[in-house]
Amino acid sequence: MIEVQGVRAGYGDGPDILNGINLVADAGKIVTILGPNGCGKSTLLKCIAGFVRPRAGDVRMSGTAVTNLKAHEKVRSHGVGFVPQTDNVFSSMSVTENIMLGARFVARAEREQRFEALLTQYPALAAKRNRKASALSGGERQLLSLARALIAKPRILLLDEPSAGLSPRMMHEVFEAISEIRAREGICILMVEQNAFEALHISDTAYVLSLGDVAMQGRASDLLADPAMRSLYLGGDAPH
Amino acid sequence: MFDFLIHVLIMCCLYSMLALSLNLQVGFGGLMNFGQIALFGCGAYGAALAYKYDLGFASGILIAVGLSAFVSWAFAGIGRNLQSDYWGIATLALAEVVRIIVTNEGWLTGGAQGISGIKPLLPELSGRSQQLGNLAICGAVLLVALLACMRLTRSRYGLGLKLMREEPQLAQSVGYDIMSLKRGCMIFSGFIAAAAGFIFAHYITFVGPDQMFSSETFLIWAMIVIGGLGNHFGAVFGAFLLQFIFAFIPFVKDMLGLPTEFVAAMRLVLIGGGLIGFILWRRTGLFPEKVGGRADG
Ligand SMILES: Nc1ncnc2c1ncn2[C@@H]1O[C@H](COP(=O)(O)OP(=O)(O)O)[C@@H](O)[C@H]1O
Ligand SMILES: [Mg+2]
Repeated sequence: MIEVQGVRAGYGDGPDILNGINLVADAGKIVTILGPNGCGKSTLLKCIAGFVRPRAGDVRMSGTAVTNLKAHEKVRSHGVGFVPQTDNVFSSMSVTENIMLGARFVARAEREQRFEALLTQYPALAAKRNRKASALSGGERQLLSLARALIAKPRILLLDEPSAGLSPRMMHEVFEAISEIRAREGICILMVEQNAFEALHISDTAYVLSLGDVAMQGRASDLLADPAMRSLYLGGDAPH
Repeated sequence: MFDFLIHVLIMCCLYSMLALSLNLQVGFGGLMNFGQIALFGCGAYGAALAYKYDLGFASGILIAVGLSAFVSWAFAGIGRNLQSDYWGIATLALAEVVRIIVTNEGWLTGGAQGISGIKPLLPELSGRSQQLGNLAICGAVLLVALLACMRLTRSRYGLGLKLMREEPQLAQSVGYDIMSLKRGCMIFSGFIAAAAGFIFAHYITFVGPDQMFSSETFLIWAMIVIGGLGNHFGAVFGAFLLQFIFAFIPFVKDMLGLPTEFVAAMRLVLIGGGLIGFILWRRTGLFPEKVGGRADG
């Protein structure tokens, strides 16, 4: 579904932040990108989404080269849904308006139906459907941003640290929502995460970045059991 | 006194157009343009060049439209990846470049002397009736501009502008093309500013580079900040308020027996003080933005 080949990227005239990344993510799978702060996880996601143009290498979606397409073009042509790390809702608009903004390219009849279905799935949002997004908690904003991406029926979902800053309870809820999406919609989910342990539990495969290179990759279950991985990123002996 | 009042009202209408145009960029699109006066200059020189080369009124409009479209397009395009504050500085620089070109290309633009003797809008009238005719034209054009702005900001396109202002990256994620929004906003508002410049040139019958100093841009900024960013009526009100205050400063000076420099100094104090005061104590201006928009677009 998504293939990244030898992607190099950076900002402005600055140095390369990504030094030739290779990555594959298939439909119906959750692929997680792990790694320490500042190693280029968000940059990689922005390259795939189309906000940052790779300096070299290729990005393909469903077999088509999309390396130089802009973000808004990928939304329509390849069904990309992107949930950024910060600033992921329109704060002056209501919950309903935020979700409906995602439905710009969905047929009118289907819109309402999907909207109601999403509210049933996320009762936290249903209760606050007429509130402004600025009045939501961090976790509710994540759900709102997720709902806004989902109403568009994406084929590819890109999530940047969906659990950042959430309480453990809310974090579970968000991760649960994500694995439910895979089960229900069978779409390709690529997410960046800091909470490696919890993220690996719902993922199929994972990539660990380090200073712009892929340092480790493999099946999520293998990485969970990997002693090197345990000591480096999972904080020694993991809970559970 | 009556003639003076008409003159003030005409200037109010022209500045209202400039304020409406800037408010569309800043208040709705979040485009921090500090080069607004260059767009005014496009309209003014459209009129002046058509007069100088004897091309007629209609060609003047065409030149004004062409120049303003080109300059707006350049504004939208410069540093397309710059953040909004840096983009603002670039627009200021670009407006200065336009003014310097106009000053130095004397063979075309009349240089620092400018171009004078431009025909009035209603040459067959004279005296007071001509002034009233001018006011009627200005009022009508302002009304059209106001209605066009209101219509635009209520449309899907207007919603796109607001989304771009709030969260540009997120706006792209829901499928808006930021570059085309930016370009469209600049070109549309450029036409309104150019219309003000075009009418101004025919009204004053003189155009020169001194009318394009950046201090004029800051005056327009003060109008929209005081009136209320993101509110069309606020922009018009701010323009009327400042123009009326400026018009009556000379009378205050005479009444209090103050020196002539008082007038110019007071203008600057009012612009600077007004900007700072409202930014510090009343961000929303006198007329706050009406929030909430249609989100089904
Ligand atoms: N907009 C930007 N302009 C310049 N440098 C940036 C920008 N965004 C991120 N960077 C730099 O790129 C590097 C990687 O950042 P990022 O991809 O956000 O890391 P991560 O998401 O893994 O924490 C960092 O050194 C950061 O300072
Ligand atoms: Mg990040």
